[in-house]
Amino acid sequence: MELIGLKDIYKIYNVGGEEVRALDGVDLKIDNNEYLAIMGPSGSGKSTMMNMIGCLDSPTSGLYEFEGEKVHIMDDSQLASIRNRKIGFVFQTFNLLPKASALHNVEIPLVYANIRKEKRLKMASDALTSVGLEDRMHHRPNELSGGQRQRVAIARALVNNPSIILADEPTGNLDSKSGHEIMKIFDELHRNGNTIILVTHEDDIAKHSNRVVQLLDGKIVKDEPVVKN
Amino acid sequence: MISLFYENLRISLAAVFANKTKSLLTALGIIIGVLSVTLMGTLISGLDRSFESSMSWLGKDILYVSRYEWFSEMEWWEVKNRPRIKSEYVDKIKNLSKHALAVSPVMQRGASLSYEDKETRTEIFGTNEEYMETISTDLDMGRFFSLSEDRNGSRVTIIGYGLKEAFFGFENPLGKHIKIDNIKFRVIGVLEKQGKFLGLFSVDNQAILPFGAYKRIFSKRGWMRLSVKVPEQKIEEGYDEITGIMRQIRGLKPSEKSDFAINQTKAFEAQYNTLKLAIGGTGYFITLLSLIVGSIGIMNIMFVTVKERTREIGIRKAIGATNGMILSQFLMEAVTICFFAGLIGLLSAYIISLFINQVFPSTLSLGLSLFSIFISMLVGILSGIIPAYKASKLDPIDALRYE
Repeated sequence: MELIGLKDIYKIYNVGGEEVRALDGVDLKIDNNEYLAIMGPSGSGKSTMMNMIGCLDSPTSGLYEFEGEKVHIMDDSQLASIRNRKIGFVFQTFNLLPKASALHNVEIPLVYANIRKEKRLKMASDALTSVGLEDRMHHRPNELSGGQRQRVAIARALVNNPSIILADEPTGNLDSKSGHEIMKIFDELHRNGNTIILVTHEDDIAKHSNRVVQLLDGKIVKDEPVVKN
Repeated sequence: MISLFYENLRISLAAVFANKTKSLLTALGIIIGVLSVTLMGTLISGLDRSFESSMSWLGKDILYVSRYEWFSEMEWWEVKNRPRIKSEYVDKIKNLSKHALAVSPVMQRGASLSYEDKETRTEIFGTNEEYMETISTDLDMGRFFSLSEDRNGSRVTIIGYGLKEAFFGFENPLGKHIKIDNIKFRVIGVLEKQGKFLGLFSVDNQAILPFGAYKRIFSKRGWMRLSVKVPEQKIEEGYDEITGIMRQIRGLKPSEKSDFAINQTKAFEAQYNTLKLAIGGTGYFITLLSLIVGSIGIMNIMFVTVKERTREIGIRKAIGATNGMILSQFLMEAVTICFFAGLIGLLSAYIISLFINQVFPSTLSLGLSLFSIFISMLVGILSGIIPAYKASKLDPIDALRYE
């Protein structure tokens, strides 16, 4: 079943009078329960691609449908709502709120979804438990290791039962051992039926996925399944 | 949106209390503004109340015939050669006036009063038997003196309530003798309690003597005024009539200016309103100024806060906060600072008003308190709206990248 459909997407910036085509006519379909890696060197447009898929950015032109909803015509608050309900972000730099506990960090998306307090706490603690942080709920980010912080971020991404989990270099700031553990969590989430999109430049990370999309100069140059051995 | 409200409140409280010194300094302008608006309001309502009650003692139906105008802007040399008011005028006015209901001469001086071993200095008044009709106070006990007591110079006195309490306590003062400048007077009456005139000086310590005895013992000369009671609705006619009679007594030609004054409580009112306007004007000017300074301070600090928390705004937007939610968060923060500033200002004003109340009647009203909190929150909204709007319009991608 098709989840995401990008059709003829352009994102054009004007930097100092010079036209920069961050995305230059991209077509991409992503189905339910895919495990996709978007790869490419820096400047290839993968960040723009991620922002586009994550509904943080709107295309200059082109069509974007997310579960049948036309994202390309949405206004700011509709985009915020779709991010809140359907997309879970995991960032390279974790992007947790430093003054809030792990539990509260995970709870915030539910606040914006207007879910009442008791249900919110239940959902947030369930999400933290699912990433193995049941005994770290009341710690602040600075009291947690990098791997633990990223797990909090994954719990926050999961808590609203999103349609996709969008991870931007999720292991980029972690040592290899922690990175490995994080990738194990993604693998498991995929096995449980989640749709996962990784943005990475590391082949090792991309190998976890089932399909690799290569970008170069704003164009898709390669789109093929991963051969597992 | 209750959840969002609590979340915003939680963020705001955390932000305000995380850096108390910064918050306090930021809010100083608002604190001073609220302090001055509530103190001014308290002062003015206190003034109003004491003015109102003081005016009722003076009586709106009394004309005060005197050498000087109250609150006159005339130079002293213009009035110092005016002839004195004489007690003979009393009978002349009574004979000639249609409107006068009562006419009393009033002389006044300081004197030393004593009873047994207690002694005090206070004002004594010499007047006639109609005096009670020209004041709004009643007797607490006893009686006033009669015409014949006045005529034959009886040494009797009616004392103020304060004097009674000071000299006699719970003892019955009637029939007792007190000494006024070492001359014995018999107490025949006590005036009821009046309080302070304009909240400034007590009139409860006076002693009233019959005019006959007063003149004989203390002085024939000295400052005198006449109190003339007329029906309240005829005050204007009464004024014209008494003016005419006084001019006739003085033998003034139509071209000559009056060499006496007829005062009314209206003069007090006009004076009072000028004073009130001056106090109120200054007070509200200070308030406005400090609120403006305060709101600029709040706006400034909110811009800094938005800048400092750009990344947080980006994160919140990425996980689903709409522009409106971000706007409400920062607006709430500004309002929270101002709310606490208002509360601190109000509390200080309340404490100060307790002290002021020792010398001047002033109580902080609930309405004024609520108003000042409302004003400070309004300032919060006004000064927070632009920074909050700026925060809400941040691009989530740029905000997330912000270091």
